[in-house]
Amino acid sequence: MNLASLSALVGEANISTTVEDRIVYSRDASRLEGECLAVVWPSHPEQVAGLVAWAEAEDVDLVPRGAGTGLCGGATPQRSVVVDLSRLTRIGPVDAEQRRVQVEAGVVLGSLNRRLAPHGLFLPVIPGSHRASSVGGMIATDAAGLRAVRYGTMADWVEEVTLVDGLGRWHHLTGEALRDAVGREGVTGFVVEAVLRLAPRPAQRTLSLVAFDDLAALLAQRDRWLADPRLTALEYLNRHAAEAIGWEARPHLLAEFDSDGGEIGDPDRIAALWQARDGLYPVLARRGYPVIEDPQIEGEGMAALLAWLEAEGIPTFGHLGVGIVHPCFSADDERVAALYERVAAEGGRVSGEHGIGLKKKAWTDAAFRAEVQRLKAQYDPHHRINRGKLC
Amino acid sequence: MLRELAENPPCIECGLCREVCPVFTILRQERISPRGLAILADRGIASVVFYQCTLCRACRVVCPVGHDPAGEQVRAQVVAQGVETEANRTMIENIRKYGNPFGPLEEGEIPKTLTCC
Repeated sequence: MNLASLSALVGEANISTTVEDRIVYSRDASRLEGECLAVVWPSHPEQVAGLVAWAEAEDVDLVPRGAGTGLCGGATPQRSVVVDLSRLTRIGPVDAEQRRVQVEAGVVLGSLNRRLAPHGLFLPVIPGSHRASSVGGMIATDAAGLRAVRYGTMADWVEEVTLVDGLGRWHHLTGEALRDAVGREGVTGFVVEAVLRLAPRPAQRTLSLVAFDDLAALLAQRDRWLADPRLTALEYLNRHAAEAIGWEARPHLLAEFDSDGGEIGDPDRIAALWQARDGLYPVLARRGYPVIEDPQIEGEGMAALLAWLEAEGIPTFGHLGVGIVHPCFSADDERVAALYERVAAEGGRVSGEHGIGLKKKAWTDAAFRAEVQRLKAQYDPHHRINRGKLC
Repeated sequence: MLRELAENPPCIECGLCREVCPVFTILRQERISPRGLAILADRGIASVVFYQCTLCRACRVVCPVGHDPAGEQVRAQVVAQGVETEANRTMIENIRKYGNPFGPLEEGEIPKTLTCC
């Protein structure tokens, strides 16, 4: 690799081939290990197009990386140069009237929402990694999260994406074309900037926490709450997950409302319950269940899946309001394959929110792979960006 | 609040520590994030990178599993392997020779620079 020409693009201090950098950038939160040849930290979106031209000249491929909180190896390099977008942190002026803001890809959701708070606004897509996740990564994975039942996914909040594709071309995607970038995990190019829509921040939040004796009663309550327009989150814990965080060993539903719909109004109690919920996966990971899945399934299929997970003793939680659940497994648990066979048989999706990355390629169907190949031919025919991801 | 640890749970590499690290939030490079340092320590890499940690432990406060970066122990291991910054070497030498990290001082003299790791 010609590092001198790379250095001319971004400055010598903003590239690295040290052992330390190559190790820490060889994986993301999925812990799927790859090989990083070098790391680049662009300081401005304009530098990204130059990086793509450099990669073409050097015959190497580039891996976009945000906060590295992805759980499917979407940012794991495979003898690639990692482009860390963490320094693209500019937040444009907040248009409070139109409820929108322009941000660069490396802006962290927590920082953005702190900036928006004085305007009474927020970006309401809240993934579990909200304290660290970057807007670019959230767009790339079409993040959903805790409040998806009310606010949907990133696709519902992105108005425009600025994309640098595999030929170094700039695209300002809007409308239907947004689907070529949102949820595509960087295979069509670098998301470098976006215009986001914003929501008014609710003045009040209340919670309800209910334990159930059987699944049928739980699902009946779920349906009743889904009909409540005040509902903003509907979280599920099976008895194995509830027990792990010290709750009664019964299946639970945790519902959040943007007004007085819930009986828990004390802010400290609400914070404590959300903290326990936020800490679920780390607790399970520490207990020997580090592999977290995210199938999405509705209707009868959901009921059958939850019953199977409970019977198998698999700790599971998730965003039941939108049919996304997170069963957690030990590293070598062969029941992951059985899980996705069940999900496929019931017409569910293999990924509700984490993405496909490297981890779930085997579970995608032919139609999905054909769609990705079509997009790849259109935006990145030489496979310069996030090579080998999705299919 | 920090609690005494009966054991130090390993880092699960979630990355939630990044945004509370006062060094990371300036440099925004993974190797000096608490997660990056944990990965390097786990691999037994002896590097001057460990001297960039301020030992503030803000990362431990937000860590969902309560992982402690144990910066002092890691740094001691790095020193034992002969990897040390010039500033750290000077600071220790000053403490040994003069009883302070600044170096030789006249009676009542206020040091103009702080040499530390």
